[in-house]
Amino acid sequence: MQEVRAGNVGKLETLFDRYNRPLFRYFMHLTGNRAASEDLVQEVFFRILKYRHTYQAETSFRAWMYQIGRNVYMDQAGKRKGEVAMPEDAGEFGSSDTLQDRQVQNKQEAVLLRRALAALPREKREVLVMSRFQDLKYDEIAAVLKCEVGTVKVRVYRALRELGTRFFELGGERAS
Amino acid sequence: MICDRIREQIPECLAGRLDPAAREKVIDHLDTCSACRADMAELGVVWRGLQSMPELEPSPAMRTRFMETLAAYQEGYQEAQRRQVYAAPPKRWWVGLWPAHPAWQAAFSAVLLLAGVMGGRYLAEPRPVNTINPELAQMRGQIENLRQLVTLSMLQQDSPSARLRGVTYSYQVTQPDQQVEQALLHAVNHDSNVNVRLSAVDALAKFGNNPEVRRAMIDSLPVQDSPLVQIALVDLLVQFNAKDALPALRKLAEDKEANESVRQRAASSVQKLEASH
Repeated sequence: MQEVRAGNVGKLETLFDRYNRPLFRYFMHLTGNRAASEDLVQEVFFRILKYRHTYQAETSFRAWMYQIGRNVYMDQAGKRKGEVAMPEDAGEFGSSDTLQDRQVQNKQEAVLLRRALAALPREKREVLVMSRFQDLKYDEIAAVLKCEVGTVKVRVYRALRELGTRFFELGGERAS
Repeated sequence: MICDRIREQIPECLAGRLDPAAREKVIDHLDTCSACRADMAELGVVWRGLQSMPELEPSPAMRTRFMETLAAYQEGYQEAQRRQVYAAPPKRWWVGLWPAHPAWQAAFSAVLLLAGVMGGRYLAEPRPVNTINPELAQMRGQIENLRQLVTLSMLQQDSPSARLRGVTYSYQVTQPDQQVEQALLHAVNHDSNVNVRLSAVDALAKFGNNPEVRRAMIDSLPVQDSPLVQIALVDLLVQFNAKDALPALRKLAEDKEANESVRQRAASSVQKLEASH
């Protein structure tokens, strides 16, 4: 990123290749929409280019990138007020070859989990996605959300707890 | 209270991110607290379930679009840098003009001072800076390119409302672009939705200086099945003062199979164009 910042903008291709997939999946979890997620990824990299001078070398590039990603998503979500991020392609996750090889019960559970995740309030879904799928450390999430690490810890737990409650309610049963 | 603190560590524990000491504490607590143990068991199921959810891949088109954007940005940036006006190094041609005698030097200085004062009065008004900000030019080029890409992309969508938005978006393309122009013409002639066709006709108004666009609109007149679109085309041709459209308009005015309103509008347009000689 430091080379990009110095004006070697061609190096952004390397960063794109490294981060476009996780970023796309992050937006998929937030929007449930493939086309919208791809547009959001484009917008993030465009803003990285535009605001490259504001990047500070001592900060984590991932955290900075997700900070931009979050702003981009919030801007878009603001324009589409009233729309709820539901998985328009709820079956899409369940239609991959990997899943087809599994037991029917596992398939159903995966679909239920995806539904439960999509039904979580945006703030909870977001923090859970960053922690679980993007593998961001708590201090990185704290930088993205501009809050304390302790707050992130509590939020991730509460998000996971609510996801669990919704998941078991959808399945009509509770573990234990 | 202890339970709250322990439970907050469950996600990190499940992710394997807890240091050994903290992990030991959690395990010790779970040994003695059945409620936290049940919580850990439930959340473990969910956590592992999330892990097994397959991840989607973005389409290859996403990378292509990114590379196009990046190339356009680089091109704009380099172009702006090429155009940047650098101050020329000072030349010493004036050295020879400086007089040797002190009296002439004083007189020459006085003249220069006077010229400076007079010149300053005339030059006091602010003037545009004769340099091009490379960043600004680059951003402008980039935004223009993005607008074109967005317009073209939206005009190819399946949804009529998306195509309508694409047509509307084309108004923001300030530089005439052949691809956008062709896409709008294609929409006028082939879009299945009459609203999209009508909007595309309106959007073409900005391309009126292009003879090819006018020719394509004239050719489109007899093949349009919607009277509304035909009338919109007729009006636009009059707006362009397109005299080369007169034969087609006369033919349309006399076409018995054409809609009555279209025939009338074509006839009045012929009169207007003929009167504008």
